[in-house]
Amino acid sequence: MSVGVSLLKKTTIEAETFVQRLDGRVKFLYFLWATIIVYIFFDPILNLIFLAVTMALAVYAKCWKPIALTILIIVVPWILFAVPILALPLGFPWNKTIIGYINILGKDYPVYLEGLGWGVTWPLRIAVAISTALLFFLTTNQAKLVATMFKMKFPFKLIYMVIATFQFIPLLASEANTIMQAQIARGLRTDVGFVQKIKNYLAVVIPLTLSALNKVQIRAIALESRGFSAPVKKTLLYEASFTKLDYAFLMTMLLVTVFLAWVYVYIGFSPLAHLPWIWSG
Amino acid sequence: MSQEIREVSPTGKAIIAVVLIPTIAALNYVGGVIVEALKAPIWGDTWATILGTLIGGFWVGAAGGFLYNIIMALTVWGLPSWVWGFANVAIATIAWFMMKMGWTDLKKPMTWIMMIVLYGLVYPAFTTAISIGIFGGGPLWKPLAAAVYTATLSSTGNFFLANYVQNAFTEIIDKPISFIISVIIAQRIPKRFVLAK
Amino acid sequence: MDMVWVKNMEPIIKVENLTYAYPTSKDFVLKNISFTVNKGEVLAVIGPNGAGKSTLLKALNGLVPHFYGGKYGGRVVVSGFEVLNTPISKMSTKVGFVFQDPEDQISGLALTVWEEVAFGLMMLGYPREEIDKRVREAIDYVGLTGLEKRSPFELSGGQMQRLAIATVLALRPEVIVMDEPTAQLDPLGKYEVLSVIEKLAVSGSTIVLAEHEIEEVVYFADKMLLLDKGEAVAYGDTRKVVTMVEELKRRGVDPPSVTELTSLLKEKTGVDVALPVTLEEAVKIYSELLR
Repeated sequence: MSVGVSLLKKTTIEAETFVQRLDGRVKFLYFLWATIIVYIFFDPILNLIFLAVTMALAVYAKCWKPIALTILIIVVPWILFAVPILALPLGFPWNKTIIGYINILGKDYPVYLEGLGWGVTWPLRIAVAISTALLFFLTTNQAKLVATMFKMKFPFKLIYMVIATFQFIPLLASEANTIMQAQIARGLRTDVGFVQKIKNYLAVVIPLTLSALNKVQIRAIALESRGFSAPVKKTLLYEASFTKLDYAFLMTMLLVTVFLAWVYVYIGFSPLAHLPWIWSG
Repeated sequence: MSQEIREVSPTGKAIIAVVLIPTIAALNYVGGVIVEALKAPIWGDTWATILGTLIGGFWVGAAGGFLYNIIMALTVWGLPSWVWGFANVAIATIAWFMMKMGWTDLKKPMTWIMMIVLYGLVYPAFTTAISIGIFGGGPLWKPLAAAVYTATLSSTGNFFLANYVQNAFTEIIDKPISFIISVIIAQRIPKRFVLAK
Repeated sequence: MDMVWVKNMEPIIKVENLTYAYPTSKDFVLKNISFTVNKGEVLAVIGPNGAGKSTLLKALNGLVPHFYGGKYGGRVVVSGFEVLNTPISKMSTKVGFVFQDPEDQISGLALTVWEEVAFGLMMLGYPREEIDKRVREAIDYVGLTGLEKRSPFELSGGQMQRLAIATVLALRPEVIVMDEPTAQLDPLGKYEVLSVIEKLAVSGSTIVLAEHEIEEVVYFADKMLLLDKGEAVAYGDTRKVVTMVEELKRRGVDPPSVTELTSLLKEKTGVDVALPVTLEEAVKIYSELLR
């Protein structure tokens, strides 16, 4: 696929699995629901369970690679970086419970449960949010995305703005590239000092902006001339509607919610890892 | 031949905004790409939010910035970094405020002062709230920033303060530079493209 | 029988004393312009840069004055609708506008060529079956069959411009307005687009187009309007206007080469001969002369 294609087309994974067939609204609700739950509880093991379920769905839907990659890049280094700092004496003011000792350069340092729990739970909460959101995004193609937003009563102009951004990015990126090549041909070099780098940046960004603003003018009058502002209900290429599959999925979420509510009340906010209370969940 | 000349009020501003907002979002995105390619020492991904505010008003800048964060969250950073969309709204708010107060003239010392105060001190308070409330706070990945965090924490014992100082440290250079760049660009733009009053 | 005759001669576009200034312009960009276009006619608007051609065209679908605002005087009536009192979205069902820049006029909402051609119909809420039918027709008419699934931004300049024409045709407008449609195209693209325009002209479409390529336009333009500094300097049958060689050159417009050549030769040699407007006519006239 070449330069002109929308970013949205390049990121959607088309496959014939039930995940793709689920209504966009259900998948979006799943993202919100899972994220809220892991923020209510404070339990890294619970987070891992949610993550595992989502990844299983992703594997089935053939979209696990981008998700795994994102989590690997964002969450894993975060945990590796945050845990040592937070779990050791200096990094976290609420450290109280020592769960072990670690030997660094000959000295024994205590490892605290509070810092460790904090350093692991928060990144995993994000991992759940990332994976569920990406699952929605990667399995919902543009037509279905538009239909989903339409059914959620987004104003049409807003739908346009979302979709158009995905289309404009590759177009502007290609133009930026052309301008950069032109400036390099005129002698622009990147191995220069701070101030010159800013000047280089301006030498690309200013022409790009002017060109982009010109396009805005033309596109706006073209849209108007093709009935964009007509006060009628727009015809979409795809109509979103719930099927038995969607209802089954929703019912499952409802049952799990009920179960988890029971767990929260009778067992606590950290049912599996038993992390102590700090200042909030 | 005498003729009745009418004054007609324009309807185009709304549509221009509809096309301008995704353009701002896309420019933020591409700005990041350019920064990479040119190895410029800034983050470069909120310049268009400020520019959008300067030429299109608060809503254009804020919506464009927010949209940018959503797209980034979906394609690059992973959700829920979309919450940083609110940070972009804060950036647009500050830019709008500075525009209204006339603090966009780079020759005025007040511009520089307010730029550093608002973007380097007030804005990080906002980002600290987000980083603690959603992400749990803690040290950032950049070694210098993390060092600032640990130092502040060990000397004051205050988690919130440590996060704040860490954020202020990173933002105090980056945001004012983005602001300056956007102001320079805004000055080069022909009047007819400007929507904001 | 007389009633039918009168109906056919009723102009589909009536412009009376059109005067207009953009909100940001000091002077009036259009001054007292009047002309008519009958159904099935092709009007070519010519003139130097800055003459007001684009502005005049935009006055036909309501962009002027509604989109830009500004000072407006006179009357423009298209397909029975007075532009001043009709919103642009309503005018878009009667007037189809093709812009100069092939890429920038593409909506940005459509992932495929098919969706882009359907764009106008989608915006105006046409039912799905109607959309399917009209999009198919439009794509075939402009010769983009087979490219339906491509991204609109992956096309060549000439293809993109034909895509724009298809998008407009799908709405079945009564008038097609084109603002220098071939200006940004390479020779192949120019050829592709002019072929489609000629096809439209021959099949009886009503077209108003601003075009620099006078040599091409004379083949199918019925009438011509010469604009300079916002004023209508000359208006009438193509032949009448395009043979006003002196006037055209004075206003910064290049007449067709054969016309200009013949005019200069006429001056030089004193031979009285009709001025040709196309290459074919020139060949005929000169072969007579040289016999």
